[in-house]
Amino acid sequence: MVVNSRYHDRWLLLLTAGLILFGAIMIYSSTSVVTPVLAKKNVTPFFYFKRHVTTMLAGTFFMYAAFRARTETLKRTAVVLLAVSFVLLILVFLPKIGVSAGGARRWLRLWPSTFQPSELVKLAMVIFLAKYMSLPEYRTDCISCFLMPIGIMGVFQIVFLKQPDFGAAMSLGILTVAMLILSGMRLRYVMMLGALLVPLGVKLIMEPYRLRRVLAFLDPWKDPQGSGFQLVQSFIALGSGGIAGVGLGESKQKLAFLPESHTDFIFSLVGEELGLIGALVVVCLFFLLFLRGIAIANKTKDPFGYYLASGLSMMIALQALINFCVTTGLVPTKGLPLPFISYGGSSLLINMTAIGILLRLSKGDGPRTVADKTEGLIERKKAVMSVYGRRRALSGFGRTDGQGNS
Amino acid sequence: MRKRAIILNTVIGFGFFIVLLRLVDIMVLNHARLCERAKMQQLKGEEVQVRRGTIFDRHGRKLAVNLELESLFCDPSEITSAEKSAYVLSEITGKPSKAIFTKLNSRGHFVWLERKVAPDVARKIKETKIKGIGFVPDAKRFYPEGSLASHVLGFVDIDNKGIEGVELKYHDSLSTSGGKFVLNRDASGKTLSQGVNMESRGNNLVLTIDEGLQYMVETELDSVMEKWRAAAAAIIMMDPFTGDILALADRPSFNPNVIAGSRDFERRNRAITDCYEPGSTFKIVIGTAALEEKIVSLHSTFDCSRGSIEIGRRVVHDAHRHGVLTFEEVIQKSSNVGSIMVGMKLGKERIYRYAKALGFGEKTGIDLPGEVPGLIRPPERWSGVSIGSVPIGQEVAVTPLQVLRAYAAVANGGFLVTPHVVSRIVSPGGRTTWTFMSEKKRVLSQKTAETFKDILKTVTEDGGTAKGAAVNGNYVAGKTGTAQMIDPRTRRYSKEKYVSSFVGFVPADNPKMAMIVVIYEPKGQTYGGVVAAPAFRQIAEKALSYLDVPRKEGRKEMLVSAQ
Repeated sequence: MVVNSRYHDRWLLLLTAGLILFGAIMIYSSTSVVTPVLAKKNVTPFFYFKRHVTTMLAGTFFMYAAFRARTETLKRTAVVLLAVSFVLLILVFLPKIGVSAGGARRWLRLWPSTFQPSELVKLAMVIFLAKYMSLPEYRTDCISCFLMPIGIMGVFQIVFLKQPDFGAAMSLGILTVAMLILSGMRLRYVMMLGALLVPLGVKLIMEPYRLRRVLAFLDPWKDPQGSGFQLVQSFIALGSGGIAGVGLGESKQKLAFLPESHTDFIFSLVGEELGLIGALVVVCLFFLLFLRGIAIANKTKDPFGYYLASGLSMMIALQALINFCVTTGLVPTKGLPLPFISYGGSSLLINMTAIGILLRLSKGDGPRTVADKTEGLIERKKAVMSVYGRRRALSGFGRTDGQGNS
Repeated sequence: MRKRAIILNTVIGFGFFIVLLRLVDIMVLNHARLCERAKMQQLKGEEVQVRRGTIFDRHGRKLAVNLELESLFCDPSEITSAEKSAYVLSEITGKPSKAIFTKLNSRGHFVWLERKVAPDVARKIKETKIKGIGFVPDAKRFYPEGSLASHVLGFVDIDNKGIEGVELKYHDSLSTSGGKFVLNRDASGKTLSQGVNMESRGNNLVLTIDEGLQYMVETELDSVMEKWRAAAAAIIMMDPFTGDILALADRPSFNPNVIAGSRDFERRNRAITDCYEPGSTFKIVIGTAALEEKIVSLHSTFDCSRGSIEIGRRVVHDAHRHGVLTFEEVIQKSSNVGSIMVGMKLGKERIYRYAKALGFGEKTGIDLPGEVPGLIRPPERWSGVSIGSVPIGQEVAVTPLQVLRAYAAVANGGFLVTPHVVSRIVSPGGRTTWTFMSEKKRVLSQKTAETFKDILKTVTEDGGTAKGAAVNGNYVAGKTGTAQMIDPRTRRYSKEKYVSSFVGFVPADNPKMAMIVVIYEPKGQTYGGVVAAPAFRQIAEKALSYLDVPRKEGRKEMLVSAQ
């Protein structure tokens, strides 16, 4: 293991801090108006905000811990972590420990709060896949190397669907496939996976009412009081924002018109209050965050680090992207929070941990010594001077690639 | 494999780009539509104008006021027993319980059960303490004088929004500004904030209408309608110098307090929204034009002894044979033949120009909704027989108000005024925030106006067509008009249907009022001098004493001899 850089990535830290603070403001804006319904439940204007700030502090601790932990430790505990996340996920179904809300069992009772294991599953899966793909015996032209992670993914997805939590199942699927494609896995296999969707499609066409339900998002105005309600409310929020927005705190949609205005649909609230300008800033912040993640991945010198950095960046970016698409009606409505901004402890904790790991990867392992510094400088010089510098630096995992093409 | 990373990242980047485009689509391109939608659900049915401004006549008498009532609404989601509540409410209000039940069971969180509930009924409903219903302050517009000046005042809808007349034209001034009764509600229908400011009031309006004069006009209209069994009638009285409309009334009429019972044709303010062919009253155009252009003098003579004149294929007759007439007599006796001769001397260009100058063919600009401009064809669109029609008021479409304004120009020494019904807007605190500023445009020279006024005075004297308009003790200047209506079926002039009119001003030398009386389809008699002129006189005599205009004794003698 060599040192990649002397310092952690400051831009990544800044972007993350910016998003989290912005999220806190929006959550306050969204939840500070106490509707009579909430007042009955003894909710005060600062209720959600206080809880969120508490989570932020806990998240900062997790982020720092992840930053201090050696990457090697993560690699060693990858399987254990995945197993633990699976057990926690199963625990959701146990009475007393599991908490159900809105007809779904997705949470664990964690006095004084609750925890959503599906968020942890995503992180554990990324770490596991990174480790798996960096194993010497991982081959991109080997069907069993493909089926193993797909199988694990499938098991998790089945559990998700039992809860039910379609959003988590969908985002885990997209994330896993994206990482497999990144690793150079034969596209033939990936397409085979796509073939699995064919019977599903046939079933939809055979039973048009199911198809209609899935496609309801394409025209929410058809049933603005029923299936299209949430999306219509989201559109109204975004649309009434216009270019400059109605002003921070001035949202009318948050007065319980827009369901989940502080969690899954907080982006619509941003659009309403801060307008197109505010929404674009948020979208751009996430894109910049993603670019920083890619840059960190490209600087790593070992396959595990590369896959881990890429996977974590994609985990955050894809989740944000899916959330944007849901709130703007580009994909069917699924309950997925917007990383860093939505209210929701588990999501914030996990994503902050992910940032901690990314920061670690940007800095590299081990204490900084004079020797390390020198070595790092030499490495970098080599990389710049040599035309194939990058390839050689990544030679640790270029192997399978070469074999796959031969 | 590096390639894979680049492609994958590009796909994700492209995803972000799609989101950007989508955001522009929703937030910019659909902004207006969605804003409307947002307003609809956030403030639905909860904008109630409580304190609309009062409308006064020129002397401060109230013509439109508010009755402060309450409106009953329900939140269906809070109704516990719809059936029982509907029964109880129906017992109190007398409305069918089935209709109430439907409302109590409807979707949403805000449904009006009954608007503007009478106070005693409201008290009884409150005593029942039914859950899920509530009252908000509301106001009912009330017109204390009933149908008086209804065409000027107009009326409002259930939400106190102006629909016709001054109520529509001045809606923004009358409605409460800044203190609209708005209930912001959340989706569950709970009132979050009451933007209620019961102290906030709309501006008051002071009209130019004089309730006393208006009453005289309305009573006379009623008797005219009865006497001549007319289809319709309109009278406008105006201050010729300022353009203040002192009275304006139409028949058929309606009562703005029970607007649901009125029909469309009753609500027409035909004095400004309906065109007619004026007939002889339009001779003011050739008369003033000929004087202004010095084509004739008072004593120029026209040979009308044939009693008819041929224009192309058309032969135009006089009502009676006259012999040789002076210019003054042509107008006084309303000779068609003489008028056409004057018109031919003028030529179509000049006739058109003077007609336009006197305000025909365009809106007068009165501050009432629905005014029409009428029609004066430009010379290039005249047919061969037009020169035999336009001078005597055919082939033109005018409104009664336009005719009145043209005669007012003669009355006031040559100025075209802007007729108006609102003189001032007064803030709730009593401060005048807007005053009508009359603008005058000179369209006739002083000399022409004076000369033509003298001619018009002879109309109501011996030998004129409108002796019936002569007023005890004062000179009346005016002109009769009798026009055949066009039968819509045959598209020819009807033999039975006429529009009889008289327009004039009094006292002729220092006019206090100009007035036009238009009677559509009188039965029995048709001549303007017989049908309309006496109505003018009836109103004028009362109005002059109401306005304290002194009588001149000399004139009285003359009148006695005339009768």
